[in-house]
Amino acid sequence: MKSAGPIHATTASASRRPIVLALCMAVLCLLGFASIALGSSGMPLNRVVLAILGTGERSDTIIIWSLRMPRLLMAGLSGVALALAGFILQRATRNELASPSVLGIVDGAALGVMCFLLMFSNESNALVVSIMWQPLAAALGALLFAGVVILLALRTDAPPLRTILYGVALGALAKAGVTLFLVDGPVHRASQAAMWLAGSVYQARWADVDVLAIVLTVFVPLAFLLSRRMDQLMLDEISAQASGLSVRSTQLMLFGLAALLTAAAVSFAGAIGFVGLIAPHIARLILPGRAGTQMLAAALVGAAMVMAADMMVRTLFAPLEVPAGAVTAVIGAPYFLFILIRAGRIHA
Amino acid sequence: MRSMPRHLPHVLLLGLIAALAVVSVHVGIRFTPPSEVWRALMEGGADQTALIVNTLRVPRTLIAIVVGGGLGLSGLLLQTASRNPLAEPGLLGINAGAGLAVVLLVVFAGNSSLSLIAGAACLGALLCALLVFSLAFSAGGIASPSYLLLAGVTVAALLSSGIQIVMVADERTMEELIFWLSGGFADRDVDLLYLAAPAIALCGLFSMLLHPMLDALLTDDTTAQTLGVPVLKTRLAALVLAALLAGVGVSVAGPVAFIGLVAPHLARLSGRQSHRDLIPLSLLTGSTLALAADIAARFVIYPSEAPVGVLLAAVGVPVLLYLLQRKRVGGAA
Repeated sequence: MKSAGPIHATTASASRRPIVLALCMAVLCLLGFASIALGSSGMPLNRVVLAILGTGERSDTIIIWSLRMPRLLMAGLSGVALALAGFILQRATRNELASPSVLGIVDGAALGVMCFLLMFSNESNALVVSIMWQPLAAALGALLFAGVVILLALRTDAPPLRTILYGVALGALAKAGVTLFLVDGPVHRASQAAMWLAGSVYQARWADVDVLAIVLTVFVPLAFLLSRRMDQLMLDEISAQASGLSVRSTQLMLFGLAALLTAAAVSFAGAIGFVGLIAPHIARLILPGRAGTQMLAAALVGAAMVMAADMMVRTLFAPLEVPAGAVTAVIGAPYFLFILIRAGRIHA
Repeated sequence: MRSMPRHLPHVLLLGLIAALAVVSVHVGIRFTPPSEVWRALMEGGADQTALIVNTLRVPRTLIAIVVGGGLGLSGLLLQTASRNPLAEPGLLGINAGAGLAVVLLVVFAGNSSLSLIAGAACLGALLCALLVFSLAFSAGGIASPSYLLLAGVTVAALLSSGIQIVMVADERTMEELIFWLSGGFADRDVDLLYLAAPAIALCGLFSMLLHPMLDALLTDDTTAQTLGVPVLKTRLAALVLAALLAGVGVSVAGPVAFIGLVAPHLARLSGRQSHRDLIPLSLLTGSTLALAADIAARFVIYPSEAPVGVLLAAVGVPVLLYLLQRKRVGGAA
């Protein structure tokens, strides 16, 4: 599989790195500002700025600080989580087609959340435990399915492409489980869950943003700590081992970390597909280099992607609430087909 | 060793289908005793039992038999045409193509006649099959099973988001179609069977005509050509037949996955290699699977009914995993 070598590409891009990252940040800020300003009630820019600073009109401040801001942050943070998860998986499986959704981890997390909602809801559909526990349920589901996929792959010593097919198969199983819970659960909960499953930051609240932010402050530094190992993994297996890397345990660790990141995003924003696939690719295109740098770029790109998708569904389809996941899939699926064909051609 | 009579598996499967059909009209939320079922079937009537048997259980039984058979055969034809043990109309996105076509038809043309719906489903299935196969072909040649499956799964994801967007945008369509899109044999329009049953029978007949050429396809291309078989034409014919079968099935029952994957492999367990046997056997195992899944769906979360797709996934995914481990699938990359 073609990829920029981690070592020789570094020097060439080192001078470019600050510029590209600054550009990414600028785009992200612009997107963020635009998505705060745009919405069902248009707002002139000066009022937006005043409201953000907290000195604007009361209604503006409420719209922005209690409706649009949490939604924006939720989109950005879940984008970061998904992009990092995708990047880590692509390194761990040494396969550029890997992503949390293709490998069935997203569906696993969704199944975990569905189990949680069903087990801890009372008669009137209210949760009897804190929503804080929902990411934990998602994490359990994601870890379970990621674990089965990697165990199947390691046990049969599967080539990278077959690992992905294991993920596809297990994802189908998890999806079936989710459908079963949807049918068996209360009707009104089902329609809510269907919306959430399609991937949407529609109902973001500050409490959710806080939890996601806390989870990410734990896992993102962890991912960067592992970035050196990810560089070593890019070597072939024997060289990687010779460089002092325990390949198997690193792969397991990375899978676990990716599963946890995916779970964090899915438990709040639902199954926003293809971000984890594409963001690392874009990062590789704009900033070839070591894992650490690319992860930074991938995180920024991922945040921008989900924010842009959410802005699109809010403005293009308003007042309908098309799930953001549908937009990312419509853009992401053709891209996946494109890299699939390219990967096949390179091999042939 | 004396070989078993040629038609033994066929007869056994027919017997099994008959037995399952009998069970299917008797059981549900409430068990209906045979005497009452018999009375309802013979005399009709408007009492509750007669209505349940005649308008719910008999139709769903017939639909499961017809659609299941069609999907089983569709899977066999796809597997032969692509030489890929993993091919299946659900996983390859063909069902999703048929689904999107029907959704678009309902959105843009409103209430349509049954034949128009079936036609749209077939057209969608056909286009989608051609798309997926040409994508896989340009990726790694048709012989690479992994690329075909990945292309199919991705196209299916793409089309389902298309369906999702259309449905959110048009609430009326959503109410009309959301149940149909969940895939299953219960509460379907039984009138479509008058169209679907002959269509599936016809496709089966055509595949039987192709059976020597399909057998030749199982060897490699050069051998098949040496045998005088037009490889490309046979493949295309099998692909078109498979897409039509899937399209007809989807128009009746909505997208139902995994029957097409599992049925041909079960049929091959009979030890038969020739398509002369495999075609009818895949049809019959498809019907058996569909019927069995439909009956089981009434009980797994009793008293509510499970979607039949869930049960089929529970059977199909382990089969898929087994096939992935057994074959040198994905070894190419």
